[in-house]
Amino acid sequence: MIEVDLAILGAGPAGLAAAGEAVAHGLRVAVVDDNPRAGGQYFRQPPAQFRRDGGSWFDKEATRVAELLRVLDHPSITYLPDTVVWDVPAPDTLAVAGGERSGRVRGRALLIAAGAHDRPVPFPGWTLPGVISAGGAQNLLKGNRIVPGRRIVVAGNGPLLFVVAASLVRAGAEVAAVVEAAPINRRLLHAWPSMLAAPKILRQALDYRLSLLRAGVPVRTGMTVVAARGADAVQDAAIAPIALDGSVDRAVSETIACDALVVGFGLTPSVELLRLIGCELGYNRGRGGWLAVRSDRMETSVANVFAAGDGAAIGGVEIALLEGRLVGLEVAARLGRAGNAEQRRAALRDQLDRTDKFRRAIEAIFAGPSHYLGLLTADTVVCRCEEVTHGELQARQAEALDSMIQLKSTTRAGMGRCQGRNCMATLASIVSEASGTPIAGLNYPRTRPPVRPIAIGDLLHEPIPPPDLPADPHLPRRQNAS
Amino acid sequence: MSSLPTDTDVLVIGAGIAGLCTALYLARAGRTVAVIDRGEPWGDASGANAGTLSVQIKRPEVLNITRRAVELWQGFKAEFGIDVGFGRPGGLRVATNEREIDMLRRSQVEQRELGLDTEWLDGNRLRDLAPWLGPTVTAATLCDWDAYSSPLQAGHAIIQGARHAGVAILGAAAATAIAEVSPGYRVTTGAGTITARVLVIAAGAWSGEAARMLGIDLPVSADVNMLSVTEPTAPLLDRVVTHIGGILSLKQYPNGTCLIGGGWQGRGGLSTGVKEIGYENLLHNLRVAANVVPALARLRLVRSWAGFEGVVPDALPLFGPLPGRAGVYVNACARGGYSQGPALGHLMAELITSGRTSLPMERFAPKRFAA
Repeated sequence: MIEVDLAILGAGPAGLAAAGEAVAHGLRVAVVDDNPRAGGQYFRQPPAQFRRDGGSWFDKEATRVAELLRVLDHPSITYLPDTVVWDVPAPDTLAVAGGERSGRVRGRALLIAAGAHDRPVPFPGWTLPGVISAGGAQNLLKGNRIVPGRRIVVAGNGPLLFVVAASLVRAGAEVAAVVEAAPINRRLLHAWPSMLAAPKILRQALDYRLSLLRAGVPVRTGMTVVAARGADAVQDAAIAPIALDGSVDRAVSETIACDALVVGFGLTPSVELLRLIGCELGYNRGRGGWLAVRSDRMETSVANVFAAGDGAAIGGVEIALLEGRLVGLEVAARLGRAGNAEQRRAALRDQLDRTDKFRRAIEAIFAGPSHYLGLLTADTVVCRCEEVTHGELQARQAEALDSMIQLKSTTRAGMGRCQGRNCMATLASIVSEASGTPIAGLNYPRTRPPVRPIAIGDLLHEPIPPPDLPADPHLPRRQNAS
Repeated sequence: MSSLPTDTDVLVIGAGIAGLCTALYLARAGRTVAVIDRGEPWGDASGANAGTLSVQIKRPEVLNITRRAVELWQGFKAEFGIDVGFGRPGGLRVATNEREIDMLRRSQVEQRELGLDTEWLDGNRLRDLAPWLGPTVTAATLCDWDAYSSPLQAGHAIIQGARHAGVAILGAAAATAIAEVSPGYRVTTGAGTITARVLVIAAGAWSGEAARMLGIDLPVSADVNMLSVTEPTAPLLDRVVTHIGGILSLKQYPNGTCLIGGGWQGRGGLSTGVKEIGYENLLHNLRVAANVVPALARLRLVRSWAGFEGVVPDALPLFGPLPGRAGVYVNACARGGYSQGPALGHLMAELITSGRTSLPMERFAPKRFAA
């Protein structure tokens, strides 16, 4: 058992910033991350063996990254890379496993900074080779310097589309079109003033937009991909208008030839650990869906369990860094190590408020359709792991087996390797539309450990005391509980 | 979902395997039947258990019930037109040390006297038959009755089968009060009020709560059993595996996933409704499984969960009239009730319609706990 003051899940911007702040105040900190290298998604680093020539646009954040990563060398830090947090057996304990090591990390406070994943939106052909998620495309670019195709369509909803499209252009790909579901053009004017609140991020955003303009990339707004087609891999994408109520007009669809289709309908916080701990969650579509309910100190509804960054609510890298620092400061203050925390807290809060103003403007511009169920046909696969189609779900609904739990248990949707990450949101949307119950009011299947699939053998390295075996296995066993 | 009828011949409390099978056979015998559940139909133990239909791990008292149930299970797919995921590959009940071998021998002799023949396996014969067993397993008995079904598929099939037979099934309809009327009972539920001539309490772990509404105490407690499932993999083991110590159940389903159980206890209890994984007990469970079948160690665990299992102090079924309340029956807490469920439902329908059962069931009457 590793015992520290602050145990952090996630070595991304929020986790690293929290660790930096905490060690600066003399706390002992553990940082657990399942990646081989720290940085999270935004600061994703290529493998150490890669030779880099420097000076490319990839390295524009090099200084910030170096500064952020330096904390991992601090003597008060226990850094566990390549390590999965698979369970939270108590609200102060992370169960960890990686390689030849498994066991528990206990903290006087926990920070869950688990990051986000792409919100999955199924449509005909989304399982074809060559169709990849926006987050996946960014990972390939940042982590492996790989461009996923020669002629690429980037489609979906949200600012990440433009970031990915610009990165692809800069990396040398032809972006055939950016297809954005929200009618962003007519909202831009209205949102300008608030965006001036964060001039640095605004400049970056303009920079992305400029790259696309220079490359002559057409940006189609109020449109969505409705199908990916191809024999063994994607050969073209069909796009059609989509209204904010989710209705799709397939009659006026058009086709764009491509050899890769990058799809991103926004990010959704990875709240599985928070669910497992029992933290209260709220539903806010604009910030990614289910998110952590937090105090202004970033504390969840469970005492001394904090959540920060995109894993708590989608806000982007700058907000993640500020929230992380606030958590580090707060935990230090609670342990009586922060001295006068008030001034620093006020400064961080002030920056956070200004950045949040920018974020809200972006959120308003990109507010998308209420659902994408109009993209589903009867044979569209909704659950990829168990290959459950929309038609099968409709058949169960017709049999009055129509709750999320009944749909899951009668079709196996959500029971495969991805543990529902790729289909639960769609299932919720389907049930919500059919029943009229808002998503926030739906009864979700419970989240269970392991939070990530993990080899059984990897869990068995921790020495634990021998069990009490039942004398008569038939008799009630509850007394043997631990 | 349908709404609650106002009147019925029989009202069953609990839409798990015991309640739905009772309702199914009563409806087929011509009764009007409604089934209510506090949560989702099939939402608790019936949907959360290991799906093991093993005869040789059962207590001697229920061997015949379980065998009859396996026969019924075997016919369900044809009966309902929906697959219940049934397979009958036979089962190995393993022993890993001298003490366990001794226990296994005694159990085999006892079962033989009751008409259940199992085959003793050790040495090369055991290795030939089950090369996937680990070196710690030194003996096993093979029982060709041992089977499995898929609790999820079975839920779908049995709910639809009961509905087709005319049973009204309603979830989110917890019984909150029961009043005696003439003739019968009026039950207040979360979804309305219903009058019934006959009541069947088939609420598993919650059966004590239901009986208490009638002023009767039943000593029902709840185990919090844990289960784990792996990712799908190529064929790895071709038998239902159980352990003489009662600490492992294991099978591989046709979809390639391996289901690991064994009655290891999680955290929580009925009073709080909490049923969570117990960290150390889960590791014990996985370690036992990986000792018995070492290839499991390289498989990825996808999900572990816990479910309540209602049990009474002698761990035998609660089956029969509720003492002191005419027209109220109990069919619950059978210990491994999922495997026995179809037979217990059939027997309960016999009891209600004819006053007799085709297997001797008197010893399971709830009156044994009447103080």
